[in-house]
Amino acid sequence: MSNATTGEPDRGRFWRHPIRRLQRRFRQWFESRLPLTDSVTLTQRSVYILPTGPGLMLGATLLLLLVASINYQLNLGYMLTFLLAGTAMVGMLVCHGTLRGVSLHLALPSPVFAGTSALMEVQLQSQRRSTRHGIGLAVMGSGHWAWCNVPAQGVCTLQVAFQPARRGLHRVPTLTAETRYPLGTFRVWTVWRPAAQVLVYPTPEVSAPPLPLASAHAGDGPATQSSVAGDFDGVRAYRRGDPLKMVVWKKLAKADELVSRDSVHALGVELWLDQRETGLSHPERQLSRLCAWVLQADRLALDYGLRLAGLDIPPASGEAQKKRCLQALALNR
Amino acid sequence: MKRPNMQSTWFTPSIQLPRDSRDTLFMLFVIAWVLAPQVGHLPLWCSVMAGSALIYRAYLAWHTRPLPSRWWLRGVLVLTVAATLWSHKTLLGRDAGVTLVVVLLALKTLELRARRDAFVVFFLSFFLMLTNFFYSQSLLTAGAMLVALMGLLTALVNTHKPVGKPPLLESARTAGMMALWGVPIMALLFVLFPRMAPLWGIPSDGMSGRSGLSSSMQVGNIASLALDDSIALLVRFNGEMPDQSDLYFRGPVLSDFDGKSWTALQSSLPERLQVAADLRGQGTPVNYQVTLKPSNHPWLLVLDATPEKPLLNGYQVSMTPELQWVTDRPIGDLVRYTAQSFPKFTHGPLTYKAGLQDYLNLPTGFNPRTAQWAKELRTQAGDGEGASAQLVDTIMNHLRTGGYTYTLEPGLYGRHSADEFWFDRKLGFCEHMASSFVILIRAMGIPARVVTGYQGGKRNAVDGYWVVRQSEAHAWAEVWISGQGWTRVDPTSAVSPGRTGTFERLQREQGAIGTALLGTVNTEFALNLRAYWDAANNSWNQWVLNYTQGQQLKLLENLGFESPNWEDLIYVLIAAVVVASLGAALWGLWDRHHRDPWLHLLERASARLRRSGIDVAPNSPPRRVAEQLIQQLGPDHPGAPALKDWLLRLEAIRYAPPVAGAKPSNGLATLRRTFKQLPWPT
Repeated sequence: MSNATTGEPDRGRFWRHPIRRLQRRFRQWFESRLPLTDSVTLTQRSVYILPTGPGLMLGATLLLLLVASINYQLNLGYMLTFLLAGTAMVGMLVCHGTLRGVSLHLALPSPVFAGTSALMEVQLQSQRRSTRHGIGLAVMGSGHWAWCNVPAQGVCTLQVAFQPARRGLHRVPTLTAETRYPLGTFRVWTVWRPAAQVLVYPTPEVSAPPLPLASAHAGDGPATQSSVAGDFDGVRAYRRGDPLKMVVWKKLAKADELVSRDSVHALGVELWLDQRETGLSHPERQLSRLCAWVLQADRLALDYGLRLAGLDIPPASGEAQKKRCLQALALNR
Repeated sequence: MKRPNMQSTWFTPSIQLPRDSRDTLFMLFVIAWVLAPQVGHLPLWCSVMAGSALIYRAYLAWHTRPLPSRWWLRGVLVLTVAATLWSHKTLLGRDAGVTLVVVLLALKTLELRARRDAFVVFFLSFFLMLTNFFYSQSLLTAGAMLVALMGLLTALVNTHKPVGKPPLLESARTAGMMALWGVPIMALLFVLFPRMAPLWGIPSDGMSGRSGLSSSMQVGNIASLALDDSIALLVRFNGEMPDQSDLYFRGPVLSDFDGKSWTALQSSLPERLQVAADLRGQGTPVNYQVTLKPSNHPWLLVLDATPEKPLLNGYQVSMTPELQWVTDRPIGDLVRYTAQSFPKFTHGPLTYKAGLQDYLNLPTGFNPRTAQWAKELRTQAGDGEGASAQLVDTIMNHLRTGGYTYTLEPGLYGRHSADEFWFDRKLGFCEHMASSFVILIRAMGIPARVVTGYQGGKRNAVDGYWVVRQSEAHAWAEVWISGQGWTRVDPTSAVSPGRTGTFERLQREQGAIGTALLGTVNTEFALNLRAYWDAANNSWNQWVLNYTQGQQLKLLENLGFESPNWEDLIYVLIAAVVVASLGAALWGLWDRHHRDPWLHLLERASARLRRSGIDVAPNSPPRRVAEQLIQQLGPDHPGAPALKDWLLRLEAIRYAPPVAGAKPSNGLATLRRTFKQLPWPT
């Protein structure tokens, strides 16, 4: 998998910098060892701990206090130093315990358009009988933390966002959770690779040209005006997803059944969104335009079909059709 | 300007401060608490500056105003460094260092921008807490600093709760729990961490400002001590204790008089001619243990008279020819030693020796009337055997009957202090009496000297220790009498027998405030309270402040080490750490296995199913597991009903309310037993 999903731009100069390169290598190797799972319960093995900068500063302070106590022979100074050291040690255990035992569950992320942020909803669950304070979650390397307290034997939900760079089906980025509670002298963290994938549609073209109605089949266009009243050929049984304005309400009143006007017949056209008829040459931009058209056609509640290289989706309308088309656009090669 | 979050209606007067302001105000309060005990030791400008910085910062926090610019702060910092240099003439050393750190801390609060700044404030505060102990390590200081530590930890914990506005009390509880768990670690380190000698010698400024006996006696010295109620030493007698009137703790012996002050003898004689101690104890000795407060003087206070070296670790102890026990270096920390003394003793030569003339010197041109009077008395007494003893009696009688008064406020004495005492004022404190007495005796040609120390003490009924306070500082005289050697004569006892007999003390007149405060309080209750307080203080001294390397090594000896040294301490410390780590590891292991039994059993079942190829989602409750099971095995599977039944029973045990009388764990035990017999799919 490429690193593009972590939101960190690939820069050429990274590769010239040997230490950065080594760090990157190490991170890739480290992450590749982690199992892919959407639910994880943090244990001793998956939780790491290191002192923070302030932690080292506290160490230096303790050393200073100790030297002062020795030099001035202050027994009370010894007591202060050792009590502080003891408390910091306990703080280390408390810090580790704050993250250890938390269960993380990732809800399946909904599809997004390329260029917009995908939201990941993570549930943090605690079995412990006391609150776990100050747990943060972030996309690894992003630096944007979301914080929460996990209530005693309860759940809290955090949302983190990331921006997929390209269309397609991507694994969600590696996540990291950390805490510095209670003293900030230690950082306890975990690295988590969820298995979930997020579907990324192409970016809809901004101010795309209008739908290619003109290029519809059976191009008599306005001839259909004649067939408006009582043309019962153009009626079929209601299908889920049919727009309400297509429903023949009179028929419902009479026969107690839902009947829709067959829009193709009603309009006398078949709307095909064809990759070859976008008028663009760049394949990605073609897909972008098609995406915009799909959304537009859906908004107008038209029946539409999608024709891509090697794939035809027959005309239909409704949410399911939209999803099918967008998915096809997302996964088109 | 009215702040939008200030929702003050008439029935909710409490102001809802934003979290930032509240946390900052709390921290400022804690810092003020840490700084407050220092105020007495800081230059005035420093206290004023730190105080105003804190108040200004509090004002900014209250009104959520922006902080001052960095340039402004830098300017103030340069100014204060200059002021420190001006106050202390240096930037190094203890007092200058403390002044600087106080200023830095106060200024840093005006620069609280990032979390890093907050940490700097915390660590400076921890350091300042320690500097408090330079001046006092009393129980009271310890208590105040414990409160300060709790406050700092509370603020620290609070800083690390990024969500919402956590109540301070909750953070305080967390901090308290952590500190409580830290106490065993502290105790272990405190007991076992080797007590090293100072790394670069006791700094000379370490003891300034401590009162006590002095190496010279100027009239007025001891009187100033008389109002100092702090404890000088504590004594515990093993077995019998001497008469109260024999409780003379011997300090510096002063034999040189220059007309104004008494100092230790600087004999011009070669050593072999000087008078030896020549101490002979009589009767049964008393055994006791002394806890001596640091005095920064090399004196060991012991009861008169102690022939054997007091047992004291870490110091070289020797006795002067004048019977005073001294150490090789000033006593900078609390020490404890045991000694054996003879209340009945004789010392010094029994017949006149050459060296005794050192104790006859008087400066010329002082106290002419006393000299004249001495000559008269001498002539009256004649030269016979026992004349000296008779003269001493005569003078003591004169003191008793001559209208002399023992008082704390005898007024200022001029150049001829003995003349004034004997003939004009007839008022004096023990030092006037001892000094005038010795001058008179010497003028009569009898060797005499002034001895200073403490006389008396008070037994604390709570813990049985005798408490000797600075106010018990005393001066008396020793007269050499042929055939008896040196003999103690206490002129004060002649004027005021109560001073040495029942230890009545002069008390300053209680002013209106004192009467108002104490007049209504039951004095017995107050005295009891004070006894308890002293006892607590004493145990504090015995167990905490006096915990020295000697005590550490003794502890190791009790643990079975033969002739332990500080390396053994390290070994024991390492062993303790290893044992503690092992304990922690074991606890972790136990903790891992000791999980919710209900969940554990469900997990075992899920794992068992997964092994047989049934896809059970993690974290599924039992009912969901059962559904998944039926779905994947098919309802016709022979084992499915039994498994489902088992899982549903598991669920019932977890969620069903416990039936009265039935043990809740019973069902779980049955389930566990039947686990193996279940028809698991293969």
